Amino acid sequence: MEKISTPTGETVYTKTLPSGLCCFVLPKAQFLRTYGMLSTNYGSLDSKFGVPGAGSVDVPPGIAHFLEHKLFEEEDGNVFGRFAAWGASVNAFTSYTQTSYLFSTTENWEDCLLLLMEFVNNPFLTEENVEKEKGIIIQELQMYADHPSHRIHSLLLENMYSEHPIRLDIGGTEESVQQTTVQDLMRCYNTFYQPGNMALAVIGDVDPLQTFQLIEDNYPAWEQEAGPIERFYPTEPREVKQSWVEDRLPISRPRYLLGFKHEPIWEGKELLRQQIAMSLGMRLIAGRSSLNYEKLYEQDLITDSFSAYFSADPRYAYSVFGSETRDPDALHEALTGVINDLQASKVAEGDVERLKRQFYGAHLASYDSFEYSANRLISSYFRKIPYHSFLDVLQSVTAAEVQEALTEQLDWKRSTTAIIRPVNDHEQE
Amino acid sequence: MKFTQCELSEGVRLHLCETDKFKSLTCKVFIQQDLKEKEATSTALLPLLLRRGSQKFPSTLHIARESEDLYAAEFGSDILKVGERQILEFYFQMVDPSLLPQGEKLLERSLRTFWEIFTNPQGPGDRFLDSYFTQEKRTLEQDLKGLVNDKRSYALARFTAHMCAEEPFRIYKYGDLETLQQLENKTVYDHYQNLLWKHPLDIFCVGSNLDQAANLFAALIPSADRSVKLQKPVQVRVAKAHVVEETMDLNQTVLVMGYRTNRTYRDDDYYALLVGNGVLGGFPHSKLFMNVRERASLAYSVGSSIEGSKGLLTITAGISDDRREQAAEIINEQVRAIQAGQISHEELEQTKRGLISAMTSIHDNPTGIIDRNVIGIVEDELRSIDQVVEAISRVGHDDCVRVMQGIQLDTTYLLRPEQKEGARHGEN
Repeated sequence: MEKISTPTGETVYTKTLPSGLCCFVLPKAQFLRTYGMLSTNYGSLDSKFGVPGAGSVDVPPGIAHFLEHKLFEEEDGNVFGRFAAWGASVNAFTSYTQTSYLFSTTENWEDCLLLLMEFVNNPFLTEENVEKEKGIIIQELQMYADHPSHRIHSLLLENMYSEHPIRLDIGGTEESVQQTTVQDLMRCYNTFYQPGNMALAVIGDVDPLQTFQLIEDNYPAWEQEAGPIERFYPTEPREVKQSWVEDRLPISRPRYLLGFKHEPIWEGKELLRQQIAMSLGMRLIAGRSSLNYEKLYEQDLITDSFSAYFSADPRYAYSVFGSETRDPDALHEALTGVINDLQASKVAEGDVERLKRQFYGAHLASYDSFEYSANRLISSYFRKIPYHSFLDVLQSVTAAEVQEALTEQLDWKRSTTAIIRPVNDHEQE
Repeated sequence: MKFTQCELSEGVRLHLCETDKFKSLTCKVFIQQDLKEKEATSTALLPLLLRRGSQKFPSTLHIARESEDLYAAEFGSDILKVGERQILEFYFQMVDPSLLPQGEKLLERSLRTFWEIFTNPQGPGDRFLDSYFTQEKRTLEQDLKGLVNDKRSYALARFTAHMCAEEPFRIYKYGDLETLQQLENKTVYDHYQNLLWKHPLDIFCVGSNLDQAANLFAALIPSADRSVKLQKPVQVRVAKAHVVEETMDLNQTVLVMGYRTNRTYRDDDYYALLVGNGVLGGFPHSKLFMNVRERASLAYSVGSSIEGSKGLLTITAGISDDRREQAAEIINEQVRAIQAGQISHEELEQTKRGLISAMTSIHDNPTGIIDRNVIGIVEDELRSIDQVVEAISRVGHDDCVRVMQGIQLDTTYLLRPEQKEGARHGEN
């Protein structure tokens, strides 16, 4: 068992079981709620992988998400009712890289934890119930299709990447959902739900030793083959697929996203360092405390939806800036100027130091959120990011590094601009 | 998690919840007023105007830099609508000062900044800075027009406007475009002054060592004549159920069904209504989720909720347009089933435990601890979490059925895809 102190004076306990399952416990004195999260290092990106004796298989996009829906099903109904009997709530989500199942309860937390481990390890898939789920998932996709922010994000990634599965929606498409079979789902399950590919976090007023024992004694044995997972990703060209794309939707005003594609060259502490340097730098460009913000806002080129983020994993890395805007072309021009200026001039040390205080405070406050803390423990483990060194790395990042990150990573030759204009734009002007 | 209350001066109530459980200190100030067509839009402009700058921090940049210097202190403002009151909220959160270097000084500086930003706006003294006013009118205009971008919120706003056409509740919490066009800087400023100094004010704080915060608030807030009398919400009985359909270029149909429950927060059996709603559509084990989604595969999202001050029950579902009638029929069946007493022991217990657990969980969330009191200040009767848990646990099967028998369907609203020739969807 490993113990790591948090900057808020708490302790994270970590233990890897003989099966390979990695467990975290973050005790929170005085809290009434207990939160558990069981995740597999498996998301929408993993659609081609090795199967013993069969080489590699391709499965339809969206399958990790489909499987997430199906694991809630049991022979005699679904697990919602069983959690509800303790007043607990249960949910799940799928990202590009991870599928997570979680519960939150104020009573019977041990029972909830046992049930979480049980249902995730007990797939009950039939032709009939898989067929039935398709209607529900297609309504979910339709709901997202009506969200403009979802649509422009898809438009950007589809056109930034040519081959990499990050260009596809996490839920897949109506067609890929229709194509999905029980066999596809079970194949993914048997590959990715082995304990060595999973992690479990428990947060609440609990005893770490007893919790680890409870997990160890009750985590269902894995009967199928286990071992290292071979994952295959297509070779992604350096260049973006298209540098400028536009679409139209029934929205009230144009939306603009600017994405930069990076080589995913960072791992571990380097990835953390890069994340911090880029996030600081992007805040110098898009933050409310930046000189440009007010200017762009007063010209109605951005709204308070203006934001920027850096997203990276050992398999992909990109940065995005975006806003609703009066005029996407003028915003593009202005933003080009802002980014070029910052790359050419010296990033001011005082600005970076001030932003570091901001990051420091936000990091401390984040420990109040169970959801955020659990997800951070697990996703950092999967990506091998030493998150407990966040504050040390933050303190050591210099203005020069921020400057370098911006200059190297925001490469216009590798950028994609995505714009969605209102269907009736001409009537507005 | 108990609040202690004290009255700082007439109409200024300070509610303190002393705890060292959290890594943050959270404060919210609520100023309530009657929801009125003439004033709602003016109020909606205030959060936008105030974040632009104060006398001491004259622009967004200055406020943002101060907030960064204070280790990610957050200063925010928003508009809430509870029943027929519109509430202006000021919000402040910072890292627990005891975790920060020179925490006590930072707390004082943060609270002074908080009060400065929300009561001392940039401008010549009798109105807001003209350029900010013009720009923020434009922002609100875009926000109001932008409601169409979120189909679910748009459908709910349209539904409310139809169902409560004759009641103040029809008014959208951010006002309306027509009123906005006519608003003048001076009018909005006078309205703002009136809100600040004539209306009741509730301040809630959650965190450790609150004495210092309490003393500072006492010193910062001058006493004033806050004697404005507020109205009670209008209660309406349903004469005739009606159906409204509107269309838009979209993929999925949004179905909204509104019921008058003839019960509110002030009624003894209000908690029976909450349980009844929970059995119907508050949870994944509820009838709507189990039947509309799990059995019939008609929806991904379906559920129901209660507006406790007006006493409305609202069901929403996102469905495929060609199966809208089937979905509405299944929904009706679920309501009728409850009214006919078909609530199993299991359903009732799961729902009560779910509600109690959700209530108890609020103890772990500093903003939740504060927000749950808003209906209490509107209805002039604060209830503790323990009181609510106790009330829910007393609800029996028959209470639930009786209350649900009293709900009446008023308006069914559908936001449907436009039917076009060679439609993009639905052909395959």
